[in-house]
Order: sequence, then structure tokens, then C-alpha cells
Amino acid sequence: MEFKDYYQVLGVAKTATAEEIKKAYRKLARKFHPDVSKEPEAEQRMQEINEAKAVLSDPEKRLAYDQLAQQYRSGQDFQPPPDWDAGFEFSGRGFEEADLGEFSDFFANLFGQGGRSGRGGRGYQMRGEDRHAKVIIDLADAFHGASRTITLQVPQVDAQGRVHSREHTLSVRIPKGVKAGQHIRLSGQGSPGIGGGPAGDLFLEIHFTPDSRYRVEGRDVHQTVPVTPWEAALGASIETPTPSGVIKVKVPAGSQAGRRLRLKGRGIPGPEPGDLYVELEVVLPPADTDKARELYETMARELAFDPRQRRGG
Amino acid sequence: MAQQHIASGELIDEAALTLDELARACSVETDWVVERIESGLLADGSPYVASWRFTSHDLTRARRMCQLERDFEAAPELAALATDLIEENERLRDRLRAAGLSDD
Repeated sequence: MEFKDYYQVLGVAKTATAEEIKKAYRKLARKFHPDVSKEPEAEQRMQEINEAKAVLSDPEKRLAYDQLAQQYRSGQDFQPPPDWDAGFEFSGRGFEEADLGEFSDFFANLFGQGGRSGRGGRGYQMRGEDRHAKVIIDLADAFHGASRTITLQVPQVDAQGRVHSREHTLSVRIPKGVKAGQHIRLSGQGSPGIGGGPAGDLFLEIHFTPDSRYRVEGRDVHQTVPVTPWEAALGASIETPTPSGVIKVKVPAGSQAGRRLRLKGRGIPGPEPGDLYVELEVVLPPADTDKARELYETMARELAFDPRQRRGG
Repeated sequence: MAQQHIASGELIDEAALTLDELARACSVETDWVVERIESGLLADGSPYVASWRFTSHDLTRARRMCQLERDFEAAPELAALATDLIEENERLRDRLRAAGLSDD
């Protein structure tokens, strides 16, 4: 485990006042907030920043950390000395139990035990916190259902009261019909309870892998299908791949490029299944042989067709 | 070889969350949720608290508001306003993507 320099994370001096720490935190939170930030690894940076703030904005934790920090440099290998926190009573303010799962091992080792012991004595029972994770699936998985293996860090308190994080690997069934942004709740798979209390739940938020072939809005799926000029003009029954497999689509005669065909109920399945929208893209065959050129020239001669005239241009 | 156990969960929306469940999932007290619903910042708003039910979207919204309030010590109204704008931005991005006008 590496020693973390929380002052360095927030970019403040060791002598920074509470107000300076708050200001530095807000500035970084603005920069790395996962909802708006375009910075790489914004989520991870935000976690570090939150962790640094949880320690430095709490006078008790900051004092204990400062004493410890005198002997370590950032990145140096670190094991908390026994009874390093003797004389400090952490009230648990500034971070929630849930944060233990989201913060680093370094934080959990230093403050996890204090946060817990501060909450009460023998016979104390509490339900474990709910936890959240994102799961990325392919669009086809929403049509057919799938299973995914996810790995989570779970904080655990050992017999000596120290906090360790343990990897928890879980296979999860992704039900058919799931939408982007929807949650799956797995009862009892969140943080373990305290003092024999029940475990919390795990919420998985579903996201789709970006796929340039398909665009998804709710349960509706949009895709483009290339067609030949004669298929568009004369009508045809064509085969096209979709997220649920290859299907037959009837192209009506007289279709223009950009025409959208709605296949009702062929979007993501569910209580109210979505629709599949197929947009026709008319692709011209290249005029790269004598025969092809001749066919185009025949059309030019025989068809009195001027698309600009129709526009009134 | 032992068969690996595959956990099955409930899909939120088909099973909606109660007030207690939403509060717990956001690590807040139920009062936090009630205050924001009564101020019109969060969904539901039907007159009977016991019948309140919340969707996946409410959960995402509540967690986002809670995070903004905590990170910036923002007033609930300001956090809700920022959340409205983030949601609007997401909707517009989705539409751009659906129209094939997005880079990603």
C-alpha cells in the first residue's frame, strides 16, 4: 500500500486553512465532476479528491493524518503503525460508511476502523450500505439477455478491527429488455452489515457499448440500411442485420434516400417494446466500366429527370 | 467443474423503489428525499407518501443531486438546477447521436 499525500492531491500547502482546503476542493470538483468533465479518468480523480477532502476537512482526521505524514512521503510503501490512532476519537463525520467501498485501501485502513468504532458498542447492529456500479453491455444483450462477471472491492473488518479490501467477483444475469440508464438491484450484494446486520443491496446501472451501426433512444433503435437505386425505386424485400439478428425488410417502391421505415415492436423488448427505425441510404453503383457508364447515359437520355427542378431551383 | 452461480436481480422500473429504498440507495435520510419532493425538485409528488414509488431515472437524479449538494455545499435548488441542465444535455446528446451527428 502506498502512502497518499492528500495535500498534494488537493494542491494545497500543509499549512492551508480550512477555507483554502474548501476552495481548492471546489475548484477541482468543478474540473473533474464526472457529469461534466471531459478529462480522462475524471471519475478516479474525483474519488481521490473526495477522499483527500474527507480527511483534510475533518479537524480530527487531519490532525491524526498530519502526525503520520511527518514520517512518510507520497508513494512510499506504507503500513499503518500499530495504535497509530491512539488518542484520537473519530466521529465519522465527513464520510459515510458507503465511502469505504469507494475510497482507497489507504483511507479504509486509517479511518475505516475509527469510523466504525465511533458508532457504538456491543450489540450494535446496522444494515450494510447499498453500493453502485456501472455495467457496460452490448445492445444485442438487451435483446437476448446476457450474463456479466463484475469485480468489486469490498471493505472487510478483520478480528483485530483493521479494514482490508477484498475482491468480490459476481456473475450477474442481465435480463432481456434492459434500457440504458436502467438499474438492476441485487439484494444482499452490497456492503456487509455490521454486528450481524443484513448486507446492503448492489445497484448496477446499465450502459451500452457505443456501436456506430445502431443508435438507441429509450427502447427505440435506429439504424441505416444501404439500398441500390433500383431497390429504392422499384421496391424490394431485403435482408439486413439488426441487433436481434438478420431480418427481412420490405422497401416500398418509390422510396427516396433518407426514408425511414418503422418496424413496430422490433426495438428493445419489454413491457412496452421499442420500435426499430430503418433509414434507407441509397448507394449509387460506380460508373467505372463501359457497361456501367452506358447504363447511366441511357438513364440520362431516357428519363427526363432533373431533381433541382422539383425543388423549384 | 462446479457451475458458477449467476445472480439474478430485479429490474428497477418493473419493480419501483419505495421512499426508504431510494433514501438508502443514495445514503441519505428519508427526510432529505421528502424535502426535495415537497419542493418539487424530485419526482413523485402524489399526495400519499406511503404510495410514493421511484424509477431508475429518479434514482440517478437523486444521487446526482445529492453528490452536487455535497461536493459544492450547494443549495438543493441549485443542485436540482444543475441536474436539470445535465439531464437536458444528455437528452440532446442522445438526439445528436440518434441523428448521426455526434463524434462518439
